[in-house]
Amino acid sequence: MTGSAVGVSFRPGELEVRPDGSGNLLGSRCGDCGAHFFPVREACSGCLSSNLETVPFSTEGVLYTFSIVRQSTPAFEVPYALGYVDFPEGVRIMGQISGIELDEIKIGMPVVLSLEPFGEDDEGNTLTGYRFVPAEAHSD
Amino acid sequence: MTDVHVVGVGMTRFGKHPDRDAADLGAEALHGAVADAGIDPRLIEAAYVGHVFQGMVTGQRVLAQVGLAGLPLSNVENACSSGATAIREASLAVRAGEHDVVIAIGTEHLTNKFRGALTPDPSDPEAAVGATMPSVYAMRARRYMEEFGMTREQLALIPVKNKSNAARNPLAHFRKEITVEDVLESRPIADPLRLHDCSPVTDGAAAVIVMSDKAAKKHSNGRAVRLAASALRTGTVDVEPASMTFEPLTWATAQDAYERAGIGPEDVDFAEVHDCFSIAEVLRVEGLGLFKQGEYPDALERGDANIEGRLPINPSGGLIGKGHPLGGTGVAQVVELVRQLRGESGDRQIEGPRVGLAHCRGGKAVGIEGAACTVQILIR
Ligand SMILES: [Zn+2]
Repeated sequence: MTGSAVGVSFRPGELEVRPDGSGNLLGSRCGDCGAHFFPVREACSGCLSSNLETVPFSTEGVLYTFSIVRQSTPAFEVPYALGYVDFPEGVRIMGQISGIELDEIKIGMPVVLSLEPFGEDDEGNTLTGYRFVPAEAHSD
Repeated sequence: MTDVHVVGVGMTRFGKHPDRDAADLGAEALHGAVADAGIDPRLIEAAYVGHVFQGMVTGQRVLAQVGLAGLPLSNVENACSSGATAIREASLAVRAGEHDVVIAIGTEHLTNKFRGALTPDPSDPEAAVGATMPSVYAMRARRYMEEFGMTREQLALIPVKNKSNAARNPLAHFRKEITVEDVLESRPIADPLRLHDCSPVTDGAAAVIVMSDKAAKKHSNGRAVRLAASALRTGTVDVEPASMTFEPLTWATAQDAYERAGIGPEDVDFAEVHDCFSIAEVLRVEGLGLFKQGEYPDALERGDANIEGRLPINPSGGLIGKGHPLGGTGVAQVVELVRQLRGESGDRQIEGPRVGLAHCRGGKAVGIEGAACTVQILIR
């Protein structure tokens, strides 16, 4: 992980942030049929088993689709890129896309998880969230 | 088991109603339906009232306005399918033999509550990273364009068509025709969607009175339209990522409705579908089996979906043209079907339709394809 904010996860149940600044998105893996889900859930919707464990997901995926959001709630400064990323575990997770010009984003692009400052808590402390960045830009 | 017949329909003008609220809009729609049915309102035995952001017991506030106290009444919330779900509940009460005359109302006053894009509940993990309703549909549009080669100009034909239909509907929110250029030059909301691709924030209400065979025979004066199916489903949880360019939920709900009505998609003469955004109309008509997947953009260019076309879609103006008062939307769709099937639609009348279909879906919860979907089929 490079240039990541060290801090507290903006949503600890969904994003694990470690003291060294690295982290992973968290979800459930079904111990009976192997299906994965995001976010963590109580039972498997494939086989209805409750034998689920919380697991970290891969940090590399492929952009399924995206949009440039130009009107949003006051919590988000526009414009920003938003996309759905398919992960090897078979889950599709939404996140913002950064580290690339907005007009260069393409469907099918390989991306990696990047931990970044993302909003504040009630006391004004910066929280750590995630965005997806292009895989090439990331490997240095 | 009795069939279910729609005997009276009513709706308010859709648009901005700054001096009114959901209760008196609902009461106006109720009065319209009662007058249309030509019955004594005291014949109504039960009520189902759909609304989303109007607070507790809005249905009771509607009935209090018109002096109909004492009835069994249920308030119904199912996001954008709330009004359609109220009709389904009313039809089930009749089919079960519990009641002979039941009213379903959908009402919503939104313009004092929302400005700009509606967002999912803030607890939603996708809302937490910046999802808005338009952005989710924008992403589906982008993927559809990539997979099927739809152009931005083809997508613009949907708001052009629906606002042209709305211009012929005196109760619609928008009464002005627009061009493809108007769509492409309107304010960007979430690329590739622009302002004209989005349904507006609207106030309005609609009501329908449904009756059993016995009551319809006595009160309908030959104007009844049979509610041949009223299907409801919730989305299933995906075990692996599903296509975002086809809607299994719309498909499955439609199959339930076709089976109940004893017809297939080829028998449908026209449809009102949930065009909350332009791309949504594409996904819906293909999910309903009315057009093959990937073929709707070319069909639009041929004019197939126009009022004069082979299979008119959203002759009322749809959500984009007529407006989208969440709870009122699904009921207003059925009002349009009934008026078209009776031949009472004036400037936007379709020639001689026999079978009409209404489709709603709405709500968002991470991990499921859609929260609630309804398909209703009316046969003259
Ligand atoms: Zn399982």
